[in-house]
Amino acid sequence: MKLIITILSLFSISFASVADEYLLTLAKQAKSENPKFSGFDTKRGESVFTSKHIGKKGKEISCTSCHGNDLNKVSKNYFTTKEIEPLSPKANPKRFSDIKTIEKWIRRNFNDVYNREGTTLEKGDVVTYIINK
Amino acid sequence: MKSLILTVALTSAVFASSFNKSDVAPVTNELYKKECGSCHFAYQPGLLPSKAWNKMMLNLSNHFGSDASLEEEDYLSISRYLNNNSAEKFMNYKRSAKIVDSLRAGEIPESISKTPYIIKKHRDIKASLITQKEVKGIFNCTACHTTAQKWIYGESDVLIPNYGKWKD
Repeated sequence: MKLIITILSLFSISFASVADEYLLTLAKQAKSENPKFSGFDTKRGESVFTSKHIGKKGKEISCTSCHGNDLNKVSKNYFTTKEIEPLSPKANPKRFSDIKTIEKWIRRNFNDVYNREGTTLEKGDVVTYIINK
Repeated sequence: MKSLILTVALTSAVFASSFNKSDVAPVTNELYKKECGSCHFAYQPGLLPSKAWNKMMLNLSNHFGSDASLEEEDYLSISRYLNNNSAEKFMNYKRSAKIVDSLRAGEIPESISKTPYIIKKHRDIKASLITQKEVKGIFNCTACHTTAQKWIYGESDVLIPNYGKWKD
């Protein structure tokens, strides 16, 4: 039995998605910042994603301004009209498949919408929300 | 006969090299397409001189009000691509030459839309057609230039949303 569990856990580790890996790193960081941290939350993530803020351009926007309300659908950049492929990895497997790309967009888009970088908790919550959409 | 074929071949080769059907050299760099083309049309590097690209690249964390910052390696690679393919190096392409020639001595434009040639070419279009939600601004080439992706900016391929074909 122990052997089966070991094999199974090895299997799941080697097949852990890039998003899971990223969230694991964030969770460790969140725990070190706040010992009471008890995991990322989809509901809080939804609020990070849909709440409106005065962004970098001085306009009130949210993440949905560009990514739309349905993350499984194509949307349009609010400022340039450029088409944006679906953000949900369920609809678009290219999403959340590369750590460098995830970090780049999280940094840029928090600056664009919140006019500051995201906190560890905000980043973990919003990614949890997106990948489950 | 053989010499005739040779002459024709040589003549067409000479013409092909001095006359370009496209207005500006095509985009050839995949990293550039990916990084810059995610948020807007991947403008051909031949639409601005290198000094203008360099000025823009120095301020990517506030790129027309958006954060477009890049990792160091990607920043260097894209800068190199823009510099190697900028307008003043491709003066045999019609639009590159027109843009470069329109600049005043020492002028470094903030964007393609701010070059005198591009301003002049768009000055007769009603402001409301440019600011409408389907277009948003002069920066949005593909909103009206239906062949911009194919490096052609001729008037006959212009189709303005809620207006139609453009006649000068």
